[in-house]
Amino acid sequence: MRITVKLFASFRTGRFQEKVLDVRGGARAGEVVAELGLPAPGIVLVNERHAGLDDVLREGDAVQLFPPVGGG
Amino acid sequence: MHQAEPVPFNPEAVTFVRCTIDLADWTARLETVRCRTVEDVLGGIGRSLQLLAGRTITDAYCPENPLIVNTGLLTGTAVMTGLRTYFSGYSPLKHSDLGLPAAMWAAGSDKFGARLKWAGIDDVVFEHRSATPVCVVFSQGEHGPAVAFEPAGHLLGLDTHRKIMALHRDHPDGHFAVIGPGGEHYDSVYMGAVALSTENQLKSGEDKCRFAGRGGMGSLMGYKNLIGLVATGADRMPAITPAMREVNRDLVKPKAGGSTRYQPVRQGGGGGTWANLEVMQAFCAAPENNFRPTGHAEVERMFRSNVERDLEIRSEACYRCGIRCHNNVFARDPDGGKAFIAKFDYEPLNLLGSNLGIHDGRQTALLVKLADNLGLDAISVAVTVAYVLDYNQRHPDRPLFNGASFGQYDGIRELIVMTGEGRLPGIGRGVKRLSRGLGETGYAMHVKGLELPAFLPETNPGYLFAIAGGHMSMQTQMLLAKEGKTTLGQWTEVITRLGLLQVGFDAIGLCKFTGIWINSEVIARAVGAATGLEIGAEALEQAVRRIYLRGLALEWRQGYTDAEYTLPAQVFENPNPAIRLPAFVTLDFVRALKQRVWEAFGPELEALALPCPPKEPAC
Repeated sequence: MRITVKLFASFRTGRFQEKVLDVRGGARAGEVVAELGLPAPGIVLVNERHAGLDDVLREGDAVQLFPPVGGG
Repeated sequence: MHQAEPVPFNPEAVTFVRCTIDLADWTARLETVRCRTVEDVLGGIGRSLQLLAGRTITDAYCPENPLIVNTGLLTGTAVMTGLRTYFSGYSPLKHSDLGLPAAMWAAGSDKFGARLKWAGIDDVVFEHRSATPVCVVFSQGEHGPAVAFEPAGHLLGLDTHRKIMALHRDHPDGHFAVIGPGGEHYDSVYMGAVALSTENQLKSGEDKCRFAGRGGMGSLMGYKNLIGLVATGADRMPAITPAMREVNRDLVKPKAGGSTRYQPVRQGGGGGTWANLEVMQAFCAAPENNFRPTGHAEVERMFRSNVERDLEIRSEACYRCGIRCHNNVFARDPDGGKAFIAKFDYEPLNLLGSNLGIHDGRQTALLVKLADNLGLDAISVAVTVAYVLDYNQRHPDRPLFNGASFGQYDGIRELIVMTGEGRLPGIGRGVKRLSRGLGETGYAMHVKGLELPAFLPETNPGYLFAIAGGHMSMQTQMLLAKEGKTTLGQWTEVITRLGLLQVGFDAIGLCKFTGIWINSEVIARAVGAATGLEIGAEALEQAVRRIYLRGLALEWRQGYTDAEYTLPAQVFENPNPAIRLPAFVTLDFVRALKQRVWEAFGPELEALALPCPPKEPAC
């Protein structure tokens, strides 16, 4: 199935900003993170809603991945 | 077989050294004080809030308001980030509607605090005020700590960096805490910061101070005619044991929730707090034009990748800290050289950039440098100036001051210069006083009289329960963006369980960028490795809760009413449709949240014999 992945901040470095990926049906968000070689994200959004790495993706989902953030 | 009961930690076995200085007659008294509680042992605000609670202060600028300068248990130890110094007192800036000053503190890093501790002093209490400008010098004497007083009139008028370098010439083995012109003009500047010298600064000669900015502790120093503090002597950093090495590894490795995210990108980190800007902008939640994001892409000009096209960025760390969280900004000279401008952290780069309508890296860096040189709290001056620009936009026919508007660099710069020089008390006394005087409080971005950090109030009802700065004393500022939490139960849980533990950093001597207070077991091991004390994770957490609750109760004693535990009215009356995060912070939500939080704290307050929360007036 096809999903759209959007990366933010340092996750873009050496990768991409937005890309359509082919992943296996029933793939979880964590598999996409591993596939891209990303460290554990701070924020995962699926279709603009907060999600977890164990969440199962569906055809056409838009996944947004952010690095860990904090402080001020 | 019976498992042995853990032996409760006995705080009375621990002592600390307090130096009480009477600035009226330039005398010093040293005493060894026996701890009574775990919070006494932790130090920092664990001790200073108790001392402040014992004073009845109705005006921050009175001789009886002490300035307490102290360190934490882990300051000056080999625990990574153990470099903190705390400045506590009743604040000229933060105040209740009754006009009473709130107890406040500010914290800063690098070596001053460690040197003070290595001189044999844990707490310094400055009483009264000096008739003439003075510097106080702490040193390692032959028979213990030594204190000397030096006239400091020659330092007046110098900016923070020049004051430090002047003191460095006289005390080559010293580290320093000074005020800038802002603190010198304490009568019209209530937001003066304390600048702390850094190893990097003293070696390079570059303008790289650290700051204890919040709450006007630099102004309190100025009132006391205390222009600078000097701590001299040799380094006494203990050797790193295997146990300490293990603790320090846990402080930075991701599985402990550590600080890797603040490391440079090429080290696998997020690139310091600058990365927050891109994340918040993705939700259209990066403050812009006085905390009113427009939904336009101009903020992206301040993303690191864009700023780097014109300016050189270097990631650097405090003395002996492995977390290179600073992003120092340098201008590239035509001859290939580089000239340091300023340090970019999320707060100043946003609040002195996009939140003033400025989206230019160089201009923002110059404003950060200006605020630092003048010794102004970057957050407070930036937020108050943003209010002025907003007011001027709303009232083009009768603008304030020089009539500056959003994005107008020269006009904004002039406002900051005049504020630091004591010529604009309207700005220097903070946004709460200014907005109340003008009768337009709805878009004044403060809570309880302290200007907001660079996170929108629409996204953080935790601001109500922060006791010394919205992002420094209640760890909830990114909760909505990070976790999407929007229910009363979730917010009550975080505020009353984890969020408040953030104040523990300001007792124990560690920087908040270690980011792992929630892992008290690691902190307990750090204490054990550094001091041999076995306090235990649970006892540590209980002590931090008591520290927080004492701070909260001090607010009520200074006259804060239920109505003051709220957010700027604009949040409720004119929600911003551009923000792409759930809009859940309503007046009803705030009312219900307060009720739940106060209920959760009730039994503990009662057990500590502290006052109850203020009640909402009956209809």
